[in-house]
Amino acid sequence: MQQFQRRAFLQAGFLSSAVIVMNGCSVFGVTTSRDTIKDLQNDLFPKAKELGINTSDYIGIVLKHSRITREDKEYLKKGVKWLNEYAVDMYKKQYTKLLSDERQKVLEGFAKERWGESWLDTVLRYTFEACFGDPIYGGNNDKAGWNWLAFSGGEPRPKKVFL
Amino acid sequence: MMYDVCIIGSGAGGSPIAYELSNAGFNVIVLEKGELYDESSFNKDELAVSRRDMFTPPLSEQKHIINEYSQSGKFTRYDGEKSGWNFWNGSMVGGSSNLMSGYFHRMKPKDFKLRSSYGEVKGANVVDWCISYDELEPYYDKVEKVVGVSGKIVPHKYLEPRSNPDLPYPMLETNEVTSWFDTACKELKFTAIPTPRAVLSQNALGRDGCYYSNFCGSYGCASGAKGSARAALLQKCDAKVITDAFVYKLDSKNGKITKAYYYTKHGVKHVINAKIFVLAAQAIETSRLLLNSKNREFPNGMANSSGELGKNLVFSAGGSGSGRFIFEKLTKEQQTALMQPGLFFNRSLQDWYDYNDGCCIYKGGTIDFLFQHQNLISRVNREMYDENGNLLWGDKLAKKIEKRLTTSRVLTFEVFNDWLPTDNCNVSVDDEAKDKWGIPVGVINLNSHPQDLEVGEHLAKKAVEVLEQMGAVEIDYSISASPPPNLVAGGCRFGDDAKTSVLDKNCKAHDLENLYVTDASFMPTGGSVPYTWTIYANSFRVADVIREELSKRMKL
Repeated sequence: MQQFQRRAFLQAGFLSSAVIVMNGCSVFGVTTSRDTIKDLQNDLFPKAKELGINTSDYIGIVLKHSRITREDKEYLKKGVKWLNEYAVDMYKKQYTKLLSDERQKVLEGFAKERWGESWLDTVLRYTFEACFGDPIYGGNNDKAGWNWLAFSGGEPRPKKVFL
Repeated sequence: MMYDVCIIGSGAGGSPIAYELSNAGFNVIVLEKGELYDESSFNKDELAVSRRDMFTPPLSEQKHIINEYSQSGKFTRYDGEKSGWNFWNGSMVGGSSNLMSGYFHRMKPKDFKLRSSYGEVKGANVVDWCISYDELEPYYDKVEKVVGVSGKIVPHKYLEPRSNPDLPYPMLETNEVTSWFDTACKELKFTAIPTPRAVLSQNALGRDGCYYSNFCGSYGCASGAKGSARAALLQKCDAKVITDAFVYKLDSKNGKITKAYYYTKHGVKHVINAKIFVLAAQAIETSRLLLNSKNREFPNGMANSSGELGKNLVFSAGGSGSGRFIFEKLTKEQQTALMQPGLFFNRSLQDWYDYNDGCCIYKGGTIDFLFQHQNLISRVNREMYDENGNLLWGDKLAKKIEKRLTTSRVLTFEVFNDWLPTDNCNVSVDDEAKDKWGIPVGVINLNSHPQDLEVGEHLAKKAVEVLEQMGAVEIDYSISASPPPNLVAGGCRFGDDAKTSVLDKNCKAHDLENLYVTDASFMPTGGSVPYTWTIYANSFRVADVIREELSKRMKL
């Protein structure tokens, strides 16, 4: 039980734990995965906010999921560091501290890098899972994502989440 | 406890045996590695079913090693866990038949005589089957009635002989777009075939009819309309099904299997004794279990005196393609028809089941047409890049998604042709990699014959002609040597000669008097259709043999 609680704590803490952002060889600052991913998801797919869908909390589910490998979870966190360091390199500021136009410039450059595009692709896929998965997972509020695309979903719907 | 019959695996290969023998009064036990899901527990959760693979084991616990051979004979080794290459299908009571689309085609008479009909193919181990179509026909017919196959038989050049002129259950409802297809085929002088489906169109056999959920393939059926081995057979008999039972070893004495050993997921060992053992764990795992069951009597693997165990693994060759129908080219009425959810497409072509390329006659295959799967997340994911392959985001991305998903729809096709058996396509077990129970994992050696791709290309081009005639845009296809993990057969060929085959014509191991194999492992060649109907039919055939054998023993 104690071990389980510790694991739960680690998973819950993943989004809020510190991500150290480097500027070359020196430490530039500290941010959290939650703040960066929240802003990033809004930049990548602002439609979600318009639809009233909370996509950043869904990342918490991803990070807890028994069927998502540790490597994939680590990859998500590493990308937060890469994106922030890219922002620091361009503007001497972390991603979350940039103006909207500046963040777009960062994304344009970041997406030109193969590794950058690959990570953004991953974040978008999880964002879409939040928007278009069954509402039982906490995203897709009131089927807003489904309604937007005139999708009726399949019946029966799940009665419990699969984690 | 001594059971009359112990069946390992509860899918399409094992369940007809369980159904027939338990209904005949024999004491039958079925060992199934997975869990029980039924109509009350199935739902249409895309995240769980399609994105988190809830019905297959985690690759961190159970995996395969895959050696992919090139035409030069060199291979690249992939670790299933590290690469994510997943060969599991449905680990559950009823197996992957719960998740099939149920496109049911019979094999044709010439499929049983591939070698004598089309001749030797250099580099391929093609042989004739040791039974004929006529011997299996009564069992195809039985499956239509007992499992339930719906549709309408139309005459065509390759229609196989049938003991009943039509299917026992009427066609499922189809989308109006199907009539566009029929018109296009008529113009092209192709024969559109309503695809027979193992899905009940009305309440029958103690099961509810299809309710057109929009989510058929890959998902469990919540009405029982789909003819899964569980819904159609196991739930209609008294066979005892033990779940959470991973059989890792068989033992033998004096030419008879004596025991099956299994682990639970928590590693607890159990032993089952039975008079007759039936192995139907899906082709790859069946060979793996036999190879892992070496003993003094069979030092090279159970039932492997021939050295043929694991050899000549085949998949279904071919590939898939698609075309898109866009609102700009349609009337208002056509647009409404196109977007109608739930109704099936259900059309196939078999005009080129064999064909002459001007030089010689080739064995061809089947093309099934169906709407793109309704999984929404995967459809949205396909829109993430622009036409130059650059990642989109923001309003541009949202606009693209909205337009593509609400004003167009994709019709897809799947090509099924023979995956010719070759020396480098087989199953072995790994010397190092083990599963979570410490049992050596299966090695899948993959090799495709160049002819597989040539035939697939020929068929795909015919499908493209139909899509063009229908007015589709963005038509594309991919024929590749990548094997579909849910269409696998071979590894325990049946045949008359014990030196060149593992099983006899009744699917009993040549080497053992009480071991039968009834999944797709017995198939020397796969035909150019999905396998499930043939697996069911053959298993019903073998059930008759085992019933006779058990009855004889009772009289002694």
